[in-house]
Amino acid sequence: MDPSEVEFLAEKEFVKIIPNFSLDKIYLIGGDLGPFNPGLPVDVPVWLALNLKQRQKCRILPPEWMDVEKLEEMRELERKEEAFTPAPSPYYMELTKLLLNHASDNIPKADEIRTLVKDIWDTRIAKLRLSADSFIRQQEAHAQLDNLTLMEINTIREFLLDSLNCMYKLRSNLQPGSSKGRFADY
Amino acid sequence: MFCEKAIELIRELHRMTDGQLPAFNEDGLRQVLQEMEALYEQNQADVNEAKTVGRADLIPSIKLRHSCLLRNQRCIVAYLYDRLLRIRALRWEYGSVLPANVRFHMSAEEVQWFGQYKKSLASFMRSIGGEEGLDITQDMKPPKSLYIQVRCLKDHGEFEIDDGTVILLKKNSQVRTGCFLAVSFLMLQ
Amino acid sequence: MSDALSEDGSDINQDDSQEDVMTPAELIAKLEEAWLNEKFSPELLENKSEVVECVMEQLTHMEANLQRVKKGDAKAGFHRMEIDRIRFVLSSYLRSRLQKIEKFFPHVLEREKSRVDGQQSLLSPEEFAFAKEYYANTETYLKTVALKRMPPNLQTVDMLKAVPEPCLDSFVFLRVKERQENILIEPESDEQRDFVVDLEEGSQHLMRYRTIAPLVSSGAVQLI
Repeated sequence: MDPSEVEFLAEKEFVKIIPNFSLDKIYLIGGDLGPFNPGLPVDVPVWLALNLKQRQKCRILPPEWMDVEKLEEMRELERKEEAFTPAPSPYYMELTKLLLNHASDNIPKADEIRTLVKDIWDTRIAKLRLSADSFIRQQEAHAQLDNLTLMEINTIREFLLDSLNCMYKLRSNLQPGSSKGRFADY
Repeated sequence: MFCEKAIELIRELHRMTDGQLPAFNEDGLRQVLQEMEALYEQNQADVNEAKTVGRADLIPSIKLRHSCLLRNQRCIVAYLYDRLLRIRALRWEYGSVLPANVRFHMSAEEVQWFGQYKKSLASFMRSIGGEEGLDITQDMKPPKSLYIQVRCLKDHGEFEIDDGTVILLKKNSQVRTGCFLAVSFLMLQ
Repeated sequence: MSDALSEDGSDINQDDSQEDVMTPAELIAKLEEAWLNEKFSPELLENKSEVVECVMEQLTHMEANLQRVKKGDAKAGFHRMEIDRIRFVLSSYLRSRLQKIEKFFPHVLEREKSRVDGQQSLLSPEEFAFAKEYYANTETYLKTVALKRMPPNLQTVDMLKAVPEPCLDSFVFLRVKERQENILIEPESDEQRDFVVDLEEGSQHLMRYRTIAPLVSSGAVQLI
Protein backbone atom coordinates (compact mmCIF):
# COMPACT_ATOMS: atom_id res chain seq x y z
CA MET A 1 0.00 0.00 0.00
CA ASP A 2 1.32 3.40 -0.85
CA PRO A 3 1.91 5.60 2.23
CA SER A 4 -0.18 8.28 0.54
CA GLU A 5 -3.11 5.88 0.71
CA VAL A 6 -2.64 5.37 4.45
CA GLU A 7 -2.57 9.15 4.78
CA PHE A 8 -5.75 9.28 2.72
CA LEU A 9 -7.45 6.99 5.25
CA ALA A 10 -6.10 9.08 8.13
CA GLU A 11 -7.74 12.14 6.60
CA LYS A 12 -11.12 10.55 7.31
CA GLU A 13 -10.57 10.96 11.06
CA PHE A 14 -12.51 13.77 12.68
CA VAL A 15 -11.00 16.86 14.32
CA LYS A 16 -12.61 19.85 15.97
CA ILE A 17 -12.31 23.17 14.22
CA ILE A 18 -13.42 26.66 15.10
CA PRO A 19 -14.71 28.23 11.90
CA ASN A 20 -14.76 31.96 11.22
CA PHE A 21 -17.68 31.76 8.78
CA SER A 22 -21.27 30.62 8.88
CA LEU A 23 -22.77 27.96 6.73
CA ASP A 24 -25.86 25.73 7.00
CA LYS A 25 -25.64 22.05 7.60
CA ILE A 26 -24.10 20.30 4.64
CA TYR A 27 -25.21 16.87 3.46
CA LEU A 28 -22.22 14.96 2.15
CA ILE A 29 -22.62 11.44 0.77
CA GLY A 30 -20.60 10.13 3.70
CA GLY A 31 -22.66 11.97 6.34
CA ASP A 32 -23.80 15.39 7.53
CA LEU A 33 -21.47 18.19 8.61
CA GLY A 34 -22.08 21.45 10.41
CA PRO A 35 -23.83 23.79 10.74
CA PHE A 36 -20.87 26.15 10.88
CA ASN A 37 -21.02 29.22 13.09
CA PRO A 38 -18.15 31.64 13.72
CA GLY A 39 -16.43 30.79 17.00
CA LEU A 40 -18.38 27.58 17.65
CA PRO A 41 -16.40 24.33 17.56
CA VAL A 42 -17.60 21.72 15.08
CA ASP A 43 -16.34 18.25 14.07
CA VAL A 44 -15.12 17.78 10.50
CA PRO A 45 -12.93 15.22 8.74
CA VAL A 46 -9.25 16.12 8.59
CA TRP A 47 -9.30 16.55 4.80
CA LEU A 48 -11.83 19.31 5.14
CA ALA A 49 -10.18 20.85 8.19
CA LEU A 50 -6.87 21.17 6.34
CA ASN A 51 -8.53 22.73 3.34
CA LEU A 52 -10.39 25.28 5.45
CA LYS A 53 -7.27 25.99 7.47
CA GLN A 54 -5.26 26.70 4.36
CA ARG A 55 -7.88 29.11 3.18
CA GLN A 56 -7.77 30.74 6.64
CA LYS A 57 -11.38 29.83 7.30
CA CYS A 58 -10.83 28.08 10.58
CA ARG A 59 -8.61 27.25 13.52
CA ILE A 60 -7.93 23.57 14.18
CA LEU A 61 -8.15 22.28 17.76
CA PRO A 62 -5.50 19.61 18.29
CA PRO A 63 -6.86 16.14 19.13
CA GLU A 64 -6.85 15.38 22.85
CA TRP A 65 -3.91 13.01 22.67
CA MET A 66 -1.77 15.61 20.90
CA ASP A 67 -0.58 16.99 24.20
CA VAL A 68 2.96 17.08 25.57
CA GLU A 69 2.11 15.61 28.97
CA LYS A 70 -0.01 12.77 27.60
CA LEU A 71 2.54 11.92 24.95
CA GLU A 72 5.36 11.90 27.49
CA GLU A 73 3.45 9.34 29.54
CA MET A 74 2.84 7.25 26.46
CA ARG A 75 6.48 7.41 25.49
CA GLU A 76 7.56 6.17 28.93
CA LEU A 77 5.02 3.36 28.85
CA GLU A 78 6.02 2.37 25.34
CA ARG A 79 9.67 2.18 26.38
CA LYS A 80 8.89 0.21 29.54
CA GLU A 81 6.52 -2.37 28.08
CA GLU A 82 7.75 -5.18 25.95
CA ALA A 83 4.48 -5.46 24.01
CA PHE A 84 2.90 -2.69 21.96
CA THR A 85 0.90 -0.28 24.09
CA PRO A 86 -2.30 1.20 22.65
CA ALA A 87 -1.33 3.87 20.11
CA PRO A 88 -2.42 7.46 20.84
CA SER A 89 -4.64 7.20 17.76
CA PRO A 90 -4.91 4.63 14.95
CA TYR A 91 -3.40 7.29 12.73
CA TYR A 92 -1.16 9.11 15.21
CA MET A 93 1.84 9.39 12.87
CA GLU A 94 -0.07 10.61 9.83
CA LEU A 95 -2.20 13.03 11.82
CA THR A 96 0.84 14.47 13.55
CA LYS A 97 2.52 15.00 10.23
CA LEU A 98 -0.56 16.51 8.56
CA LEU A 99 -1.55 18.79 11.41
CA LEU A 100 1.95 19.94 12.25
CA ASN A 101 2.80 20.61 8.64
CA HIS A 102 -0.32 22.56 7.84
CA ALA A 103 -1.61 23.94 11.13
CA SER A 104 1.38 24.15 13.45
CA ASP A 105 0.31 27.63 14.58
CA ASN A 106 -2.82 26.06 16.11
CA ILE A 107 -0.93 23.41 18.04
CA PRO A 108 0.79 24.43 21.27
CA LYS A 109 4.38 23.17 21.66
CA ALA A 110 4.37 21.79 18.13
CA ASP A 111 8.10 21.03 18.12
CA GLU A 112 7.98 19.08 21.36
CA ILE A 113 5.02 17.10 20.05
CA ARG A 114 6.86 16.31 16.86
CA THR A 115 9.82 14.95 18.82
CA LEU A 116 7.66 12.94 21.22
CA VAL A 117 5.66 11.31 18.46
CA LYS A 118 8.86 10.51 16.60
CA ASP A 119 10.25 8.87 19.76
CA ILE A 120 7.11 6.79 20.22
CA TRP A 121 7.21 5.79 16.57
CA ASP A 122 10.89 4.81 16.75
CA THR A 123 10.36 2.70 19.87
CA ARG A 124 7.43 0.91 18.30
CA ILE A 125 9.18 0.31 14.98
CA ALA A 126 12.16 -1.16 16.84
CA LYS A 127 9.81 -3.56 18.63
CA LEU A 128 8.16 -4.38 15.34
CA ARG A 129 11.49 -5.27 13.74
CA LEU A 130 12.36 -7.53 16.66
CA SER A 131 9.05 -9.34 16.51
CA ALA A 132 9.19 -9.71 12.74
CA ASP A 133 12.67 -11.17 13.12
CA SER A 134 11.55 -13.69 15.72
CA PHE A 135 8.44 -14.55 13.68
CA ILE A 136 10.61 -15.57 10.78
CA ARG A 137 13.27 -17.24 12.92
CA GLN A 138 10.75 -19.39 14.79
CA GLN A 139 8.86 -20.18 11.59
CA GLU A 140 5.66 -19.13 13.25
CA ALA A 141 2.31 -19.54 11.53
CA HIS A 142 0.33 -16.97 13.42
CA ALA A 143 0.94 -13.72 15.28
CA GLN A 144 -1.44 -11.45 17.09
CA LEU A 145 -0.66 -7.79 16.46
CA ASP A 146 -3.10 -5.77 18.51
CA ASN A 147 -2.40 -2.06 18.86
CA LEU A 148 -0.31 -1.88 15.69
CA THR A 149 -1.42 0.94 13.41
CA LEU A 150 -1.91 0.66 9.68
CA MET A 151 1.08 2.88 8.95
CA GLU A 152 3.28 0.72 11.18
CA ILE A 153 2.11 -2.45 9.48
CA ASN A 154 2.70 -0.76 6.17
CA THR A 155 6.38 -0.10 6.91
CA ILE A 156 7.14 -3.83 7.09
CA ARG A 157 4.36 -5.23 4.94
CA GLU A 158 6.16 -5.75 1.69
CA PHE A 159 9.46 -6.88 3.13
CA LEU A 160 7.96 -9.27 5.66
CA LEU A 161 5.34 -10.80 3.38
CA ASP A 162 7.76 -11.22 0.49
CA SER A 163 10.30 -12.89 2.79
CA LEU A 164 7.68 -15.25 4.20
CA ASN A 165 6.45 -16.19 0.73
CA CYS A 166 9.96 -16.70 -0.53
CA MET A 167 10.86 -18.98 2.36
CA TYR A 168 7.65 -20.88 1.91
CA LYS A 169 8.50 -21.53 -1.72
CA LEU A 170 12.01 -22.62 -0.88
CA ARG A 171 10.70 -25.01 1.78
CA SER A 172 8.02 -26.53 -0.40
CA ASN A 173 10.51 -26.99 -3.22
CA LEU A 174 12.50 -29.20 -0.85
CA GLN A 175 9.67 -31.70 -0.81
CA PRO A 176 9.94 -33.74 -3.98
CA GLY A 177 6.83 -34.03 -6.09
CA SER A 178 5.20 -31.05 -4.47
CA SER A 179 3.97 -28.60 -7.04
CA LYS A 180 2.64 -26.30 -4.35
CA GLY A 181 4.42 -22.98 -4.26
CA ARG A 182 6.64 -23.98 -7.13
CA PHE A 183 8.35 -21.08 -8.83
CA ALA A 184 6.23 -19.96 -11.68
CA ASP A 185 8.58 -18.68 -14.31
CA TYR A 186 6.31 -18.09 -17.22
CA MET B 1 24.21 -26.19 -27.18
CA PHE B 2 20.48 -26.48 -27.59
CA CYS B 3 18.17 -23.83 -26.14
CA GLU B 4 21.01 -21.32 -25.87
CA LYS B 5 19.25 -18.86 -28.16
CA ALA B 6 15.96 -19.21 -26.31
CA ILE B 7 17.65 -18.42 -23.02
CA GLU B 8 19.28 -15.42 -24.66
CA LEU B 9 15.79 -14.04 -25.39
CA ILE B 10 14.86 -14.36 -21.74
CA ARG B 11 18.13 -12.77 -20.63
CA GLU B 12 17.50 -9.88 -22.95
CA LEU B 13 14.29 -9.03 -21.07
CA HIS B 14 15.89 -9.73 -17.74
CA ARG B 15 18.63 -7.19 -18.44
CA MET B 16 16.07 -4.45 -19.07
CA THR B 17 15.31 -3.41 -15.55
CA ASP B 18 12.15 -1.61 -14.41
CA GLY B 19 9.93 -2.97 -17.14
CA GLN B 20 11.48 -1.24 -20.14
CA LEU B 21 10.69 -2.71 -23.51
CA PRO B 22 13.65 -3.68 -25.70
CA ALA B 23 13.23 -3.94 -29.46
CA PHE B 24 11.33 -7.02 -30.55
CA ASN B 25 13.94 -9.66 -31.38
CA GLU B 26 12.46 -11.09 -34.56
CA ASP B 27 15.78 -12.56 -35.53
CA GLY B 28 16.26 -14.35 -32.21
CA LEU B 29 12.73 -15.71 -32.37
CA ARG B 30 13.31 -17.04 -35.89
CA GLN B 31 16.54 -18.75 -34.84
CA VAL B 32 14.82 -20.56 -31.97
CA LEU B 33 12.00 -21.64 -34.28
CA GLN B 34 14.57 -22.93 -36.76
CA GLU B 35 16.29 -24.90 -34.04
CA MET B 36 12.93 -26.37 -33.07
CA GLU B 37 12.24 -27.36 -36.63
CA ALA B 38 15.60 -29.12 -36.91
CA LEU B 39 15.12 -30.91 -33.57
CA TYR B 40 11.67 -32.00 -34.63
CA GLU B 41 12.84 -33.35 -37.99
CA GLN B 42 15.69 -35.29 -36.40
CA ASN B 43 13.26 -36.73 -33.90
CA GLN B 44 10.80 -37.73 -36.62
CA ALA B 45 13.56 -39.58 -38.44
CA ASP B 46 14.81 -41.28 -35.27
CA VAL B 47 11.32 -42.23 -34.16
CA ASN B 48 10.73 -43.88 -37.52
CA GLU B 49 13.98 -45.76 -37.31
CA ALA B 50 13.34 -46.80 -33.71
CA LYS B 51 9.97 -48.14 -34.73
CA THR B 52 10.88 -49.87 -37.98
CA VAL B 53 14.33 -51.23 -37.15
CA GLY B 54 13.68 -51.44 -33.41
CA ARG B 55 16.66 -49.31 -32.40
CA ALA B 56 15.95 -48.74 -28.73
CA ASP B 57 19.34 -47.00 -28.33
CA LEU B 58 17.84 -43.97 -30.10
CA ILE B 59 15.25 -43.38 -27.40
CA PRO B 60 17.46 -41.36 -25.01
CA SER B 61 18.37 -38.86 -27.70
CA ILE B 62 14.76 -38.61 -28.80
CA LYS B 63 13.83 -37.78 -25.21
CA LEU B 64 16.60 -35.24 -24.94
CA ARG B 65 15.50 -33.47 -28.12
CA HIS B 66 11.91 -33.49 -26.97
CA SER B 67 12.87 -31.85 -23.68
CA CYS B 68 14.76 -29.21 -25.64
CA LEU B 69 11.71 -28.62 -27.80
CA LEU B 70 9.54 -28.12 -24.74
CA ARG B 71 12.07 -25.80 -23.19
CA ASN B 72 12.31 -23.75 -26.37
CA GLN B 73 8.55 -23.49 -26.55
CA ARG B 74 8.39 -22.44 -22.93
CA CYS B 75 11.08 -19.78 -23.33
CA ILE B 76 9.46 -18.29 -26.43
CA VAL B 77 6.05 -18.10 -24.81
CA ALA B 78 7.59 -16.58 -21.69
CA TYR B 79 9.44 -14.02 -23.83
CA LEU B 80 6.31 -13.02 -25.71
CA TYR B 81 4.05 -13.01 -22.68
CA ASP B 82 6.42 -10.97 -20.57
CA ARG B 83 6.60 -8.39 -23.35
CA LEU B 84 2.81 -8.21 -23.42
CA LEU B 85 2.80 -7.48 -19.69
CA ARG B 86 5.27 -4.67 -20.21
CA ILE B 87 3.21 -3.27 -23.08
CA ARG B 88 0.12 -3.46 -20.90
CA ALA B 89 1.90 -1.46 -18.20
CA LEU B 90 2.69 1.20 -20.79
CA ARG B 91 -1.03 1.74 -21.42
CA TRP B 92 -1.40 2.71 -17.77
CA GLU B 93 1.71 4.83 -17.78
CA TYR B 94 1.32 6.76 -21.03
CA GLY B 95 -2.37 6.53 -21.86
CA SER B 96 -3.79 5.15 -25.07
CA VAL B 97 -1.23 6.79 -27.38
CA LEU B 98 2.26 5.45 -26.88
CA PRO B 99 5.34 7.58 -27.53
CA ALA B 100 7.04 6.90 -30.85
CA ASN B 101 10.23 5.50 -29.31
CA VAL B 102 8.20 2.84 -27.48
CA ARG B 103 6.08 1.93 -30.50
CA PHE B 104 9.28 1.61 -32.49
CA HIS B 105 10.26 -1.35 -30.29
CA MET B 106 7.01 -3.22 -30.81
CA SER B 107 6.27 -5.78 -33.50
CA ALA B 108 3.26 -5.37 -35.78
CA GLU B 109 1.43 -8.13 -33.88
CA GLU B 110 2.20 -6.49 -30.57
CA VAL B 111 0.73 -3.24 -31.86
CA GLN B 112 -2.35 -5.23 -32.79
CA TRP B 113 -2.56 -6.85 -29.34
CA PHE B 114 -2.18 -3.44 -27.76
CA GLY B 115 -4.97 -2.02 -29.93
CA GLN B 116 -7.31 -4.80 -28.82
CA TYR B 117 -6.29 -4.35 -25.17
CA LYS B 118 -7.10 -0.65 -25.39
CA LYS B 119 -10.48 -1.46 -26.90
CA SER B 120 -11.34 -4.01 -24.20
CA LEU B 121 -10.26 -1.63 -21.47
CA ALA B 122 -12.23 1.25 -22.97
CA SER B 123 -15.44 -0.75 -23.25
CA PHE B 124 -14.96 -2.02 -19.70
CA MET B 125 -14.62 1.53 -18.41
CA ARG B 126 -17.60 2.74 -20.44
CA SER B 127 -19.77 0.00 -18.96
CA ILE B 128 -19.16 0.93 -15.31
CA GLY B 129 -22.24 2.42 -13.68
CA GLY B 130 -24.40 4.84 -15.60
CA GLU B 131 -24.14 6.49 -18.96
CA GLU B 132 -20.64 7.85 -19.17
CA GLY B 133 -18.81 5.13 -17.28
CA LEU B 134 -15.69 5.77 -15.23
CA ASP B 135 -12.14 6.36 -16.45
CA ILE B 136 -10.15 4.27 -13.99
CA THR B 137 -6.84 5.23 -15.57
CA GLN B 138 -7.39 8.59 -13.84
CA ASP B 139 -7.21 9.17 -10.07
CA MET B 140 -4.12 7.02 -9.67
CA LYS B 141 -3.13 8.87 -6.47
CA PRO B 142 -5.30 9.87 -3.54
CA PRO B 143 -6.65 13.41 -3.99
CA LYS B 144 -5.14 16.22 -1.97
CA SER B 145 -7.39 19.02 -0.88
CA LEU B 146 -4.40 21.21 -0.15
CA TYR B 147 -3.41 24.39 -1.80
CA ILE B 148 -0.36 25.30 -3.81
CA GLN B 149 1.10 28.60 -4.83
CA VAL B 150 1.11 29.53 -8.51
CA ARG B 151 2.45 32.56 -10.31
CA CYS B 152 0.56 33.87 -13.30
CA LEU B 153 2.59 34.31 -16.44
CA LYS B 154 -0.07 36.23 -18.30
CA ASP B 155 -3.37 37.94 -17.70
CA HIS B 156 -6.20 35.49 -17.57
CA GLY B 157 -8.97 37.38 -15.82
CA GLU B 158 -11.44 35.64 -13.53
CA PHE B 159 -11.04 31.94 -12.98
CA GLU B 160 -13.30 29.66 -11.00
CA ILE B 161 -11.45 26.91 -9.20
CA ASP B 162 -13.00 23.62 -8.28
CA ASP B 163 -14.21 24.62 -4.87
CA GLY B 164 -16.29 27.38 -6.37
CA THR B 165 -14.06 30.29 -5.41
CA VAL B 166 -13.43 32.81 -8.15
CA ILE B 167 -9.90 34.14 -8.31
CA LEU B 168 -8.45 36.90 -10.41
CA LEU B 169 -5.40 35.88 -12.41
CA LYS B 170 -3.24 38.87 -13.28
CA LYS B 171 0.16 38.67 -14.86
CA ASN B 172 2.93 38.19 -12.27
CA SER B 173 0.52 37.98 -9.36
CA GLN B 174 0.76 35.07 -6.97
CA VAL B 175 -2.34 33.10 -6.00
CA ARG B 176 -3.07 29.96 -4.10
CA THR B 177 -5.13 27.38 -5.85
CA GLY B 178 -6.50 24.12 -4.57
CA CYS B 179 -6.80 21.60 -7.21
CA PHE B 180 -4.55 19.78 -9.61
CA LEU B 181 -7.19 20.16 -12.28
CA ALA B 182 -7.21 23.88 -11.90
CA VAL B 183 -3.45 24.01 -12.09
CA SER B 184 -3.15 21.78 -15.11
CA PHE B 185 -5.76 23.89 -16.80
CA LEU B 186 -3.70 26.97 -16.09
CA MET B 187 -0.58 25.32 -17.37
CA LEU B 188 -2.28 24.66 -20.66
CA GLN B 189 -3.05 28.34 -21.15
CA MET C 1 -27.05 28.06 -0.83
CA SER C 2 -29.04 26.51 -3.64
CA ASP C 3 -31.64 23.87 -2.95
CA ALA C 4 -29.92 21.46 -5.26
CA LEU C 5 -27.54 20.33 -2.55
CA SER C 6 -29.99 20.22 0.32
CA GLU C 7 -31.21 16.72 -0.33
CA ASP C 8 -28.96 14.05 1.00
CA GLY C 9 -28.99 12.01 -2.16
CA SER C 10 -30.51 8.96 -0.56
CA ASP C 11 -31.82 7.48 -3.79
CA ILE C 12 -30.70 4.00 -2.99
CA ASN C 13 -32.96 3.92 0.03
CA GLN C 14 -35.89 3.75 -2.34
CA ASP C 15 -34.36 1.06 -4.48
CA ASP C 16 -36.57 -2.01 -4.07
CA SER C 17 -33.94 -4.40 -5.37
CA GLN C 18 -31.77 -3.68 -2.32
CA GLU C 19 -32.82 -6.15 0.32
CA ASP C 20 -31.35 -4.41 3.28
CA VAL C 21 -31.57 -0.66 3.21
CA MET C 22 -28.19 1.03 3.31
CA THR C 23 -27.54 4.68 3.96
CA PRO C 24 -25.11 6.43 1.60
CA ALA C 25 -22.60 6.57 4.45
CA GLU C 26 -22.84 2.81 4.96
CA LEU C 27 -22.49 2.33 1.24
CA ILE C 28 -19.23 4.28 1.19
CA ALA C 29 -17.99 2.25 4.19
CA LYS C 30 -18.78 -0.95 2.27
CA LEU C 31 -16.84 0.34 -0.72
CA GLU C 32 -13.82 1.13 1.45
CA GLU C 33 -13.91 -2.33 3.04
CA ALA C 34 -14.10 -3.97 -0.37
CA TRP C 35 -11.24 -1.76 -1.57
CA LEU C 36 -8.85 -2.78 1.23
CA ASN C 37 -9.84 -6.46 1.04
CA GLU C 38 -9.25 -6.51 -2.69
CA LYS C 39 -5.95 -4.66 -2.31
CA PHE C 40 -4.53 -7.16 0.16
CA SER C 41 -6.07 -10.47 -0.83
CA PRO C 42 -3.85 -12.60 -3.08
CA GLU C 43 -6.85 -13.85 -5.08
CA LEU C 44 -9.72 -12.09 -6.80
CA LEU C 45 -12.69 -11.71 -4.46
CA GLU C 46 -16.36 -11.91 -5.35
CA ASN C 47 -17.54 -8.87 -7.25
CA LYS C 48 -19.50 -6.15 -5.46
CA SER C 49 -21.37 -4.91 -8.50
CA GLU C 50 -24.30 -3.56 -6.54
CA VAL C 51 -22.00 -1.44 -4.36
CA VAL C 52 -20.17 -0.12 -7.44
CA GLU C 53 -23.43 0.73 -9.15
CA CYS C 54 -24.91 2.48 -6.14
CA VAL C 55 -21.73 4.52 -5.58
CA MET C 56 -21.68 5.52 -9.25
CA GLU C 57 -25.29 6.58 -8.90
CA GLN C 58 -24.44 8.71 -5.88
CA LEU C 59 -21.56 10.36 -7.71
CA THR C 60 -23.57 11.05 -10.86
CA HIS C 61 -26.43 12.43 -8.82
CA MET C 62 -24.15 14.74 -6.86
CA GLU C 63 -22.27 15.90 -9.97
CA ALA C 64 -25.59 16.72 -11.63
CA ASN C 65 -26.63 18.79 -8.61
CA LEU C 66 -23.32 20.62 -8.66
CA GLN C 67 -23.90 21.61 -12.27
CA ARG C 68 -26.86 23.67 -11.12
CA VAL C 69 -25.01 25.46 -8.35
CA LYS C 70 -24.18 29.15 -8.61
CA LYS C 71 -20.61 30.30 -9.00
CA GLY C 72 -18.80 30.80 -5.73
CA ASP C 73 -21.00 28.52 -3.62
CA ALA C 74 -18.96 27.46 -0.62
CA LYS C 75 -20.70 24.11 -0.18
CA ALA C 76 -19.95 23.07 -3.74
CA GLY C 77 -16.25 22.92 -2.88
CA PHE C 78 -16.88 20.53 0.01
CA HIS C 79 -18.94 18.30 -2.23
CA ARG C 80 -16.33 18.34 -4.99
CA MET C 81 -13.61 17.34 -2.57
CA GLU C 82 -15.72 14.48 -1.28
CA ILE C 83 -16.57 13.34 -4.80
CA ASP C 84 -12.84 13.29 -5.65
CA ARG C 85 -12.15 11.12 -2.62
CA ILE C 86 -14.92 8.63 -3.36
CA ARG C 87 -14.00 8.46 -7.03
CA PHE C 88 -10.42 7.66 -6.08
CA VAL C 89 -11.46 4.73 -3.87
CA LEU C 90 -13.85 3.42 -6.51
CA SER C 91 -11.27 3.65 -9.31
CA SER C 92 -8.55 2.14 -7.18
CA TYR C 93 -10.86 -0.72 -6.21
CA LEU C 94 -11.76 -1.48 -9.82
CA ARG C 95 -8.09 -1.19 -10.82
CA SER C 96 -7.02 -3.76 -8.20
CA ARG C 97 -9.62 -6.16 -9.54
CA LEU C 98 -8.72 -5.61 -13.16
CA GLN C 99 -5.04 -6.17 -12.36
CA LYS C 100 -5.84 -9.51 -10.77
CA ILE C 101 -8.13 -10.48 -13.62
CA GLU C 102 -5.28 -9.85 -16.05
CA LYS C 103 -2.73 -11.59 -13.86
CA PHE C 104 -4.81 -14.74 -13.32
CA PHE C 105 -7.08 -14.65 -16.38
CA PRO C 106 -7.16 -18.39 -17.21
CA HIS C 107 -7.91 -19.32 -13.59
CA VAL C 108 -10.52 -16.63 -13.16
CA LEU C 109 -12.36 -17.79 -16.27
CA GLU C 110 -12.04 -21.43 -15.25
CA ARG C 111 -13.60 -20.63 -11.89
CA GLU C 112 -16.52 -18.93 -13.69
CA LYS C 113 -16.96 -21.96 -15.92
CA SER C 114 -17.06 -24.43 -13.07
CA ARG C 115 -19.37 -22.25 -10.99
CA VAL C 116 -22.45 -24.08 -9.80
CA ASP C 117 -25.91 -22.52 -9.80
CA GLY C 118 -26.52 -20.17 -6.94
CA GLN C 119 -22.81 -19.65 -6.28
CA GLN C 120 -21.91 -15.97 -6.33
CA SER C 121 -20.06 -15.01 -9.50
CA LEU C 122 -16.48 -13.85 -9.12
CA LEU C 123 -16.73 -11.42 -12.01
CA SER C 124 -19.21 -8.70 -12.80
CA PRO C 125 -20.72 -8.97 -16.31
CA GLU C 126 -18.36 -6.21 -17.49
CA GLU C 127 -15.33 -7.90 -15.96
CA PHE C 128 -16.36 -11.22 -17.48
CA ALA C 129 -16.53 -9.63 -20.93
CA PHE C 130 -13.12 -8.06 -20.37
CA ALA C 131 -11.54 -11.33 -19.17
CA LYS C 132 -12.86 -13.24 -22.18
CA GLU C 133 -11.53 -10.64 -24.59
CA TYR C 134 -8.19 -10.57 -22.80
CA TYR C 135 -7.92 -14.35 -23.06
CA ALA C 136 -8.84 -14.44 -26.74
CA ASN C 137 -6.55 -11.55 -27.59
CA THR C 138 -3.56 -13.08 -25.83
CA GLU C 139 -4.17 -16.56 -27.18
CA THR C 140 -4.53 -15.30 -30.75
CA TYR C 141 -1.36 -13.29 -30.36
CA LEU C 142 0.72 -16.23 -29.12
CA LYS C 143 -0.65 -18.46 -31.86
CA THR C 144 0.02 -16.01 -34.67
CA VAL C 145 3.50 -15.02 -33.60
CA ALA C 146 4.95 -18.30 -32.42
CA LEU C 147 2.83 -21.36 -31.80
CA LYS C 148 1.66 -21.69 -35.41
CA ARG C 149 5.29 -21.68 -36.49
CA MET C 150 6.23 -24.50 -34.13
CA PRO C 151 6.24 -28.28 -34.83
CA PRO C 152 2.72 -29.78 -35.01
CA ASN C 153 2.84 -31.35 -31.54
CA LEU C 154 3.82 -28.08 -29.87
CA GLN C 155 1.24 -25.69 -31.25
CA THR C 156 -0.82 -25.36 -28.11
CA VAL C 157 -0.04 -24.11 -24.62
CA ASP C 158 -2.15 -24.96 -21.60
CA MET C 159 -2.88 -21.48 -20.29
CA LEU C 160 -3.99 -22.85 -16.92
CA LYS C 161 -0.54 -24.31 -16.41
CA ALA C 162 1.37 -21.50 -18.08
CA VAL C 163 -0.09 -18.65 -16.05
CA PRO C 164 0.63 -18.87 -12.31
CA GLU C 165 -2.23 -19.30 -9.90
CA PRO C 166 -2.79 -16.90 -7.00
CA CYS C 167 -0.78 -18.05 -4.00
CA LEU C 168 -3.37 -18.62 -1.28
CA ASP C 169 -0.62 -19.49 1.17
CA SER C 170 0.52 -15.86 1.26
CA PHE C 171 0.44 -14.22 4.65
CA VAL C 172 -2.01 -11.36 5.24
CA PHE C 173 -2.72 -8.86 8.01
CA LEU C 174 -6.28 -8.72 9.24
CA ARG C 175 -8.61 -7.17 11.80
CA VAL C 176 -11.45 -9.21 13.29
CA LYS C 177 -14.94 -7.76 12.98
CA GLU C 178 -16.92 -10.72 14.32
CA ARG C 179 -15.49 -13.04 16.95
CA GLN C 180 -14.42 -16.46 15.64
CA GLU C 181 -13.60 -19.58 17.65
CA ASN C 182 -11.27 -22.48 16.97
CA ILE C 183 -9.48 -21.34 13.87
CA LEU C 184 -7.05 -24.11 12.98
CA ILE C 185 -3.53 -22.94 12.28
CA GLU C 186 -1.40 -25.37 10.33
CA PRO C 187 2.24 -25.66 11.29
CA GLU C 188 5.05 -24.17 9.24
CA SER C 189 7.48 -27.03 9.74
CA ASP C 190 7.38 -30.72 10.53
CA GLU C 191 8.62 -30.25 14.08
CA GLN C 192 5.62 -28.09 14.95
CA ARG C 193 2.05 -29.13 15.65
CA ASP C 194 -1.13 -27.49 14.50
CA PHE C 195 -3.10 -25.47 17.03
CA VAL C 196 -6.28 -23.46 17.28
CA VAL C 197 -6.76 -19.78 18.05
CA ASP C 198 -9.80 -17.70 18.89
CA LEU C 199 -10.10 -14.44 17.00
CA GLU C 200 -11.46 -11.81 19.34
CA GLU C 201 -13.43 -8.91 17.96
CA GLY C 202 -11.15 -5.98 17.22
CA SER C 203 -7.93 -8.00 17.47
CA GLN C 204 -5.37 -7.96 14.67
CA HIS C 205 -3.49 -10.92 13.24
CA LEU C 206 -0.88 -12.08 10.77
CA MET C 207 -1.54 -15.48 9.20
CA ARG C 208 -2.00 -17.34 5.96
CA TYR C 209 -4.73 -16.11 3.67
CA ARG C 210 -5.95 -19.66 3.04
CA THR C 211 -6.91 -20.08 6.70
CA ILE C 212 -9.25 -17.11 6.80
CA ALA C 213 -10.33 -16.76 3.14
CA PRO C 214 -13.98 -17.70 3.89
CA LEU C 215 -14.04 -15.12 6.69
CA VAL C 216 -12.99 -12.39 4.27
CA SER C 217 -15.87 -13.11 1.92
CA SER C 218 -18.36 -13.39 4.77
CA GLY C 219 -17.19 -10.04 6.14
CA ALA C 220 -16.15 -11.44 9.53
CA VAL C 221 -12.59 -10.17 9.09
CA GLN C 222 -11.14 -7.16 7.29
CA LEU C 223 -7.75 -7.34 5.56
CA ILE C 224 -5.47 -4.45 6.53
